[in-house]
Amino acid sequence: MDRNRKILASILALLILSIIMAVTDITFRIQDTEKRGIKAGMPQIGPGVGIIRIEGPINMSSGAGLVGVKSQVERIIDRLDSLSRNSDIKALVVRINSPGGTVAATQEIYQKIWKLRKKNIPIVASMGDIAASGGYYAASACNYIIANHGTITGSIGVIAFSPNLKGLFEKLGIKMNVIKSGNYKDILSSHRDLTKEEFAMLQKMIDSSYRKFLKDIALGRNMNQSEIEPYADGRIMTGEEALNYKLIDELGTFEDAIDKARRLAKLDENSPVYDEVKTPVEQILMSLEGMLKWNNIFKEKYPGSGNYRLEYRYLP
Amino acid sequence: MTLSYFRSLAWADYFINALVDPRNLFRIFARKDAKPFGMSFIIPALLAITEILSISLLGSESSFFYYKISYGWILFFLIIILKLIISASLMDMIAQFFGFNGRIKELVSILNYSLLPGVFLLPIIYIFKIMNFAPLFFYFLFTLLLTIWSAFIAIQGISEMHSTGFGRALFIYLFPSIFALLFTFFIIILLIISGVGFFFG
Repeated sequence: MDRNRKILASILALLILSIIMAVTDITFRIQDTEKRGIKAGMPQIGPGVGIIRIEGPINMSSGAGLVGVKSQVERIIDRLDSLSRNSDIKALVVRINSPGGTVAATQEIYQKIWKLRKKNIPIVASMGDIAASGGYYAASACNYIIANHGTITGSIGVIAFSPNLKGLFEKLGIKMNVIKSGNYKDILSSHRDLTKEEFAMLQKMIDSSYRKFLKDIALGRNMNQSEIEPYADGRIMTGEEALNYKLIDELGTFEDAIDKARRLAKLDENSPVYDEVKTPVEQILMSLEGMLKWNNIFKEKYPGSGNYRLEYRYLP
Repeated sequence: MTLSYFRSLAWADYFINALVDPRNLFRIFARKDAKPFGMSFIIPALLAITEILSISLLGSESSFFYYKISYGWILFFLIIILKLIISASLMDMIAQFFGFNGRIKELVSILNYSLLPGVFLLPIIYIFKIMNFAPLFFYFLFTLLLTIWSAFIAIQGISEMHSTGFGRALFIYLFPSIFALLFTFFIIILLIISGVGFFFG
């Protein structure tokens, strides 16, 4: 019986530990919210501004990762969905700190923001260090764009590349055996040169994605494509230059973006801000996910290695 | 409750037996040194905390989130106790109707201890929440499973208390739910009759 008592005491101790963990988790959420300028002691109620954060390269992974963390696009779309369902959210600020990402992932975010804009929810984009290429694409879906003076933006264009290791393979005496069902099945293979037909085919895809990019920006910015085209050659620019080219509406900070969103939604100047809160456990898991996906890190560093894709992305 | 009593881990017998041998739990109540009644209220309090934390972990980010973890569990604890006392009263009433002795104090203790499996919901849900693997689905699934386990503990306890069979103990246990269902049903019927009389009479 004594042994059973000890086992039960251990189970209860674990239970208490899980309670402490849960309370700590929630407490950190509250503290995190406080750090972001939201008073947690006096919870804020009522109409306010919701914050969505787009950070880092935009891409879609295949469902939940190794430790169940959602892909960035899924997380952003979920967040947009939950905010749009919340009757207290009268305006949105999309905080962007991203060099862009894959074409489809960026388009999904653009379309989601656009749908919300169509529902007459004022949406303001706030650019951080960088909001280039796909980052700018997402911003262009918003009603109003605010960037810092030194924000790197622009880079309007599409890119796809692969390393040509043919010379290296020949030097090393490596030959690839390729059995394929069609001429183009191994397009962008690193062991041979691109043929003219393949090049033309890829260029067509790039051009098509580029045209879509331009069209969507023009739609979002309420401009003609011809007005954007001179600056849409892949060049990067500062916030100030972007303002001159009318690619953004105002120079300002994140706080300015929140104030603008409040004004657009006719909210009180002290109305609450509902920011995204990641729990410490989620933060640890996301770091763990990054570590576990070492293969992705390799690809991130050497983008040509495998997995070819079209990207709206600024790649210096 | 003295420190020596706590260190002896004798109190753990209530919890062990509640989980593995509910019939023996009632036999322990009969001991002279047993202090089951007061201690049994630890479980609803613990359940209220774990339940409110589980809901808070699953809940979406809203201002209510901050209220429910601070005050919600007290309200939840009071609701559990109120529900439990009403259920125990109805169970004791039907038990007396069957010719058994009224033993409301022991019944309240048994019902309190029967809630013990529910406290395991938090660690289970926490795992699914961390893994982000359908936490809401598993919340409902495990709530259902743990409720069945709780019911089993209570029925075994009632059966031992009144030295009666499983079927009668089951009926005693289910009586408050049946009563509530019938009560609601007749209220609805009366409301419909009143409504019909009001609009068409």
